Amino acid sequence: MTVVCPRGHDSQATDYCDRCGAVIVGGSASGGATQVLPVVEEADTSPAARRAPCPACGAERSGDDRYCEGCGYDFLAPPPAPWTWEAIVTADRAQFDRLAVAGVSFPADYPERRFALADAETRIGRSRGHPDEHAPEIDLAAAPADPGVSRLHAVLEQGGDGAILVRDLNSTNGTMVNDNPMPIAPQTAVRLADGDRVRVGAWTTITVRKR
Amino acid sequence: MSTFTTECYQNEYLPLGGSEVNAIVTVTSDGAAGETIQPKAAEIVLVDTSGSMGAPRRKLEAAREATSVAIDCIRDGAAFGVIAGTEVARAVYPTDGTLVPASARTRAEAKKALRRLTAQGGTAIGSWLTLAGTLFATMPGRSCHAILLTDGENQHESDEHLDGVLAELEGQFQCDCRGVGTDWRVSELRRISSALLGSVDIIAKPEDMAEDFRALMQTAMGKATGDVALRLWTPQGASVAFVRQVAPVIVDLTGRAVQVNPQTADYPTATWGSESRDYHVCINVPPGAVGDEMLAGRVSLVEGDETRAQALVKAMWTDDQQLSTRINREVAHYTGQAELAECIQEGLEARKEGDLATATFKLGRAVKLASESGNDGTMKLLQAVVDVDDAATGTIRLRQDVATVDEMSLDTRSTITVRIGSGAT
Repeated sequence: MTVVCPRGHDSQATDYCDRCGAVIVGGSASGGATQVLPVVEEADTSPAARRAPCPACGAERSGDDRYCEGCGYDFLAPPPAPWTWEAIVTADRAQFDRLAVAGVSFPADYPERRFALADAETRIGRSRGHPDEHAPEIDLAAAPADPGVSRLHAVLEQGGDGAILVRDLNSTNGTMVNDNPMPIAPQTAVRLADGDRVRVGAWTTITVRKR
Repeated sequence: MSTFTTECYQNEYLPLGGSEVNAIVTVTSDGAAGETIQPKAAEIVLVDTSGSMGAPRRKLEAAREATSVAIDCIRDGAAFGVIAGTEVARAVYPTDGTLVPASARTRAEAKKALRRLTAQGGTAIGSWLTLAGTLFATMPGRSCHAILLTDGENQHESDEHLDGVLAELEGQFQCDCRGVGTDWRVSELRRISSALLGSVDIIAKPEDMAEDFRALMQTAMGKATGDVALRLWTPQGASVAFVRQVAPVIVDLTGRAVQVNPQTADYPTATWGSESRDYHVCINVPPGAVGDEMLAGRVSLVEGDETRAQALVKAMWTDDQQLSTRINREVAHYTGQAELAECIQEGLEARKEGDLATATFKLGRAVKLASESGNDGTMKLLQAVVDVDDAATGTIRLRQDVATVDEMSLDTRSTITVRIGSGAT
């Protein structure tokens, strides 16, 4: 028996199309997933209720609310200390798949780690497994170690104007920024914006954020 | 006829843009021969008779005895033969370049021929396997199985030669490999056993050989099917990331795919008795829209042209993160077991190379994984190589005085997995 799938393929199988795998309508396969829509909350949008927008996320302030509806910013809090940066280290599956390094497997369990970029320099590298005074601040030897990271790979530097910069320290496999597949030039500081991703090794992604 | 059943464990929900589908498929065969006659079997025992087998003397004696025990387990009518291996291969019984049906007479003759074996010469395993292949080829239509016993490294032929032999013999017969003593190389026998879909193990003491051979031959005689393939259909635009057996031992089948048509490939699983095995299938599919459902894979067990059982691997896209981020218990468990085997092999390798930091890290991770998954067998073997300070965090110290046999046992058995629930949580 031949049936036609929703995408127009002829299929011998009557549950799922034997070309594209689509569900055959009226076939023996079960239906799709049930979707639950989130409840939309009403906001006071009258002109009189508007105040200055939230300085953190830009959402409009509703009435005299103390906390921003968008991000929870406290409008009554004292003005924040000068902006500082933090680095968030995660493992990126897409990066790992793209590089496809032979003999290296993607870590099953990779806890996200955060580092405050308080010092003028924060080094990225891979210690010899026993942290000492020479170990870099962002040490990617901690389990599970990224084998593609050099001992001293790159450094995050504070610019004079409160900016953050990344400089590759002649690493073996290079340092990439965001989705650019080309490594940045070694020993050259590259300016980073809030949310930029510094990519090193087989999977490590270091996102810099203002906090 | 042996009946196959399948169960599929997966989280079919994918996030928007998600493309990787993972599933564990459990295949169980009841091993019942039923009305059909049991498949006709052919068995060969390959015994290492190189010079080292004579030192100590009881090694060759034990091999001789174990081979006799194995011959006794062969049922009447199944064809069999014995090969003695040195730097060349020699048919010990029968000597006319064929195999003979087992009977009281032929078994006695074979045992008599075994008594004349002497330990002298080198080791060229490829040539032994080639002769086994030639002998099996005289018995078309039989399910062919061999037991290979060695005590040393494959010194008298190149790695390339052995690889060539294995490539040629793949699929022609199944071969269980056993290393006796500690002078053989685990990686070498593992290469042979994985190419020929058999098991590999260490026999530390020669006196244990007979029991092991008996078990191997009884398992072989209990096979109720011919060669069975795991057939995987994937939709257009999809690609198979990997297919591996994950229980009772890990065997990567990804490279063994035989393409049936552009969307379907067969992975060999050899013969089945009464047993259950788990397979981990990982498929990349083109991402769909929220609410889409598709079939990501159709897994069938195929014997000859006949489909014996089937399991469906599905994909559904959702924007509900609670659904898409849930990790299936079985998938997580076997991903851990695969990493456990990898950590042990890499840790032992690093230890051999003197990279103690890597060895400590890898074996520590192995201890943590073995402890978490309740893999007590592997845990015991690990404890012979490392001192465990805290299994929960994988804090260990490498032991200084490790017996070679303990290290080799750990390496050989690193791929043995446990099922969920067989140990601690």
